[in-house]
Amino acid sequence: MTATIALLGQPNSGKSTVFNALTGLRQHVGNWPGKTVEKKEGTFLHDGKEYAVADLPGSYSLTANSDEEEITREFISSGKADVVCILADSSQLERSLFMMADYAGINVPSFLVLNMADVAEDQGKKIDAKALEDKLGIPVIQLSATENKKYDMFFEAMNRAIENKSLINISGLKTELEKIEGFTKLEELIPDGSIENYSALWLSAKAIENDRLVIDKLKNTLAPDVIKEVDGIRGAGGGAVSTGNSKFAWIDELLAGVLQKKDDQVKLGKLDRMYLSPVWGKPAVILTILFGLIGSFIPALPFMGLGQAIGGLKAPIAEALFSAGVSEILITVICNVVLQSFSYILQMLGFVFGVVLVFGLLEEVGVMARISYVFDNSMAKLGLQGKSVMPFLISFGCTMGGAAGTRVIDNWGQKVLTIALAWAVPCGAAWSVIPMLASLFFGPGAVLVIIAILLTMVLHMWITAKIFGRKLVKTGERYGMIMELPPYHKPKWGALFRYVLGRTKDTFFRVSKVVLLVCFLFWALSYSFVPGTDPILFKIGKVIEPVTKVFGMGWQLFMAFIASSVGKEGALGVISALFNDGSFYSAFSDAMSGAGVAADLNEVLLSNVTKPEALAFIFAITFNMPCVVALAATYQETASAKWTAKIAAYYTVGALVLSTIVYHIGLLIW
Amino acid sequence: MSLSEAKANGEVRVSRISGDARFQSRITSIGITPGCALRVIRNDRNRPVLVYSRNTMIALNRKECSGIEVEVLS
Repeated sequence: MTATIALLGQPNSGKSTVFNALTGLRQHVGNWPGKTVEKKEGTFLHDGKEYAVADLPGSYSLTANSDEEEITREFISSGKADVVCILADSSQLERSLFMMADYAGINVPSFLVLNMADVAEDQGKKIDAKALEDKLGIPVIQLSATENKKYDMFFEAMNRAIENKSLINISGLKTELEKIEGFTKLEELIPDGSIENYSALWLSAKAIENDRLVIDKLKNTLAPDVIKEVDGIRGAGGGAVSTGNSKFAWIDELLAGVLQKKDDQVKLGKLDRMYLSPVWGKPAVILTILFGLIGSFIPALPFMGLGQAIGGLKAPIAEALFSAGVSEILITVICNVVLQSFSYILQMLGFVFGVVLVFGLLEEVGVMARISYVFDNSMAKLGLQGKSVMPFLISFGCTMGGAAGTRVIDNWGQKVLTIALAWAVPCGAAWSVIPMLASLFFGPGAVLVIIAILLTMVLHMWITAKIFGRKLVKTGERYGMIMELPPYHKPKWGALFRYVLGRTKDTFFRVSKVVLLVCFLFWALSYSFVPGTDPILFKIGKVIEPVTKVFGMGWQLFMAFIASSVGKEGALGVISALFNDGSFYSAFSDAMSGAGVAADLNEVLLSNVTKPEALAFIFAITFNMPCVVALAATYQETASAKWTAKIAAYYTVGALVLSTIVYHIGLLIW
Repeated sequence: MSLSEAKANGEVRVSRISGDARFQSRITSIGITPGCALRVIRNDRNRPVLVYSRNTMIALNRKECSGIEVEVLS
């Protein structure tokens, strides 16, 4: 590895676009150890040399207020980065240079990228990057959305920063900060390097801002009487508001002669007048998401066709293997585990590809920020940001798509919480089963059942938000929206496609593991290894029937419930086979392929299942784990096996609890 | 008065920002500091307040706005 570059910038500074453009398929997404924050790393080749890139978590400043900022600080101060690339938005330079001003005084080499130069140009702004470079003492370049060739300039600036170990010239900032009462004294009390890699100026400013990490560390390094003096000055320093004033004063001074702009006029465009309207905002957002969902299916179709084709290969391959004399057990593993899994996975990948592309595009052009604005109030009640409404709506179609859609949520805890709640939204497959079962048993009363399900969904989400929210989105960190609405941008198609392909590839490997594992497990439990004997699942089902009766399910229904956690459509197939004394194994494997509903299902159900049992069963499969692919997508997005398992267990237990309640209410009615 | 009471399409100046260290740091880092002028773009019930400052459109949750004191300029 030649060098490690860390990307630092406020949200909407175009940080992820640069990260994706640099790394493309060579990226890895995980979690920072012990933290609920997403970790994005990657590598790229330039001039035959390999560089590592770390995309530091997005935050507005470097003050240690949240996990994101602590991770960023730890990464920089530990010397893991050889150079820090600071990003700012050219179209909002006055504000977005704040991150650079907050970084100034850290003794790690850096360079500045003024992103979205094209947007600034459209607004009639002219920026003299060279003049800013002279003032700042670090390489400064402008980067435009449309020209990928400009990365030559990026690499040139990067190499210059590494070679010269360029540090920001802080003399102007020092003048501004020293206007704060006692600041000069503070700089004397906290000399350079009191904490490694930080200058006296930076530490003094953070001390005034009440930065927890700095204050704790200083207590360990400075003498008690010095600390006392420091605390005295800090208390009267005016906190982040006064240092912020100094930083912005410095930025204004830097930009004098650097930035030329026309009169600062604000007028909402047509699109914003619609999205931000108190009346039309919500309908407009919902329509946008629905069109996005439909749009996602277009790139998904070829994948889905391919996936189904693989599913269709099962029978001919099984036949061919059989005539080649391959043992039956191997044939079923190949066909019903491996081929079936890849059929699922490919269909899923198509949808993930579509959703990530379409909603990534909406994020990139700036629409997602408007969605956040419109639904901020409603979603804040669940501890979420406005964007979470999008995965919820997608989940009415497909939970896996909803999980993939949470990618635009920049806070990991809120992302996981959004997925956990999205599971409660009945998906397309559930909607194909519920009305059928409900009208079979309750006739016109089916409408009431559907209303009850929707109400239960809302209640479920509310309770789940309480249970999971406490850990995932700590109350102390629940701040109302303080967010910028960026100007609309043209998408960077190249970077977007590389990103989407990268994520699809990543998804493929991670999801394959989960789906293969789960499908194999179900196969092993439902296969008769010794001919003529019952499979394990079957035996367990019969043994624990007294228990499952409490949930309102006989063993046949309980098996169907289990099958519904692999795929909802499968549940009916299992029912019709089991009540017809069909082979348990073939029922299960057929059901997994989404087929196998017998023609006489209606009579079978009506003669074997009572009304309370039917109602309980409807609720149980609706609020059960959505399907194995949703499980895999959840694992992919959260990057946490622990949380994925927690959510899955919670939903399985939750479905059974609901089923029990509904069953006993049903017994009172009928 | 508090920013959440400001009229849409008006110009205000921030006179005071109060709140815990975290709020102060958040609000400062998005570019709202005492003395800076804000143009109130929208102020609708049940929606964040929309202001324009330092070349940026900013959405602020109504509750958070209570910590931002402003005086009306126009």
